[in-house]
Amino acid sequence: MPTIVIASPKGGAGKSTTAVLLGTELAHAGANIVMLDCDPNHSLTLWADRAPLPDRIRVLSNVTESDIVRTIKQHDTDGQIVVVDLEGVASRLVSRAISQADLVITPMRATTLDATIGVRALQLIAEEEEALDRKIPHSVVFTMTKAIRSKQHSGIAESLAGQGIDLIDPPLMERAAFSALFEFGGNLRNMPAQGNMDGAIENAALFAQAVYKRLAQGV
Amino acid sequence: MSDGKAFSIDLGRLKSREKDRSPQAIERVERAGEELGFVSRDGQKRRGRKPSPRTGQVHAKVLPGISEEIAIEAKRRGVQQGVLIEEAWTLYKEKSGI
Repeated sequence: MPTIVIASPKGGAGKSTTAVLLGTELAHAGANIVMLDCDPNHSLTLWADRAPLPDRIRVLSNVTESDIVRTIKQHDTDGQIVVVDLEGVASRLVSRAISQADLVITPMRATTLDATIGVRALQLIAEEEEALDRKIPHSVVFTMTKAIRSKQHSGIAESLAGQGIDLIDPPLMERAAFSALFEFGGNLRNMPAQGNMDGAIENAALFAQAVYKRLAQGV
Repeated sequence: MSDGKAFSIDLGRLKSREKDRSPQAIERVERAGEELGFVSRDGQKRRGRKPSPRTGQVHAKVLPGISEEIAIEAKRRGVQQGVLIEEAWTLYKEKSGI
């Protein structure tokens, strides 16, 4: 089963939120999910400790540079999807995780700073593809987007698309429910209502569906 | 609030690609990463000999021949002289019923 690596050397880009939304939505759709928390801030573990984990989800904490390849290999088996949440720095742990990915997702806020730093992950993927002589499918998802798209957002999206970078549609909007996952744990469907829950669930589900299509068809 | 399944996953459509996990492949990946600044951030282990747990001290003067014998025996066994004193003390306690 595929391994999805959420990678960006930029802190605060929305990696853990993306990982939790993806993991919970794929689990809701029927997949068994193993989530690896490789972030020293333990964001996934904090989420997992807030409430009983949703069905079909397991979270493994404290995965480090020395055991990332072994841990992915151990769980990259039939019947489950591995979601890897990485730390927001440029590290060897990131390089090793990407080398084991079936799909790398780079969350990116639609700002020049996020795009500039996030692009380093894309450069790393290109180098690893050459080093391993295999294609590593990868996509960018914009996070914390607003209902009205800014000129900056459009400019960055055009620039990335012009370079042949796959952009996941829909982006993940800035929603109270998404950040509240780390307050209440669980998934969007069982947490107390936060803002427009129907909109949040639809956004997360369509995002997960877009990722699933990429996994099923290849990017 | 909607709570139905937005979509269902057909697990049969999901495939994992073959990945090279050999040490050589990982080394190539690391070299490529290091050139872009993706370097090891794991805490380095402390180098050198670990501090001895033996922090107590005895203040004993013995006859020259005895100190020499203790030094030779400790060297032969590859232990500190304090280990011999600890063993001697254990025997003394057994003998004395302390």
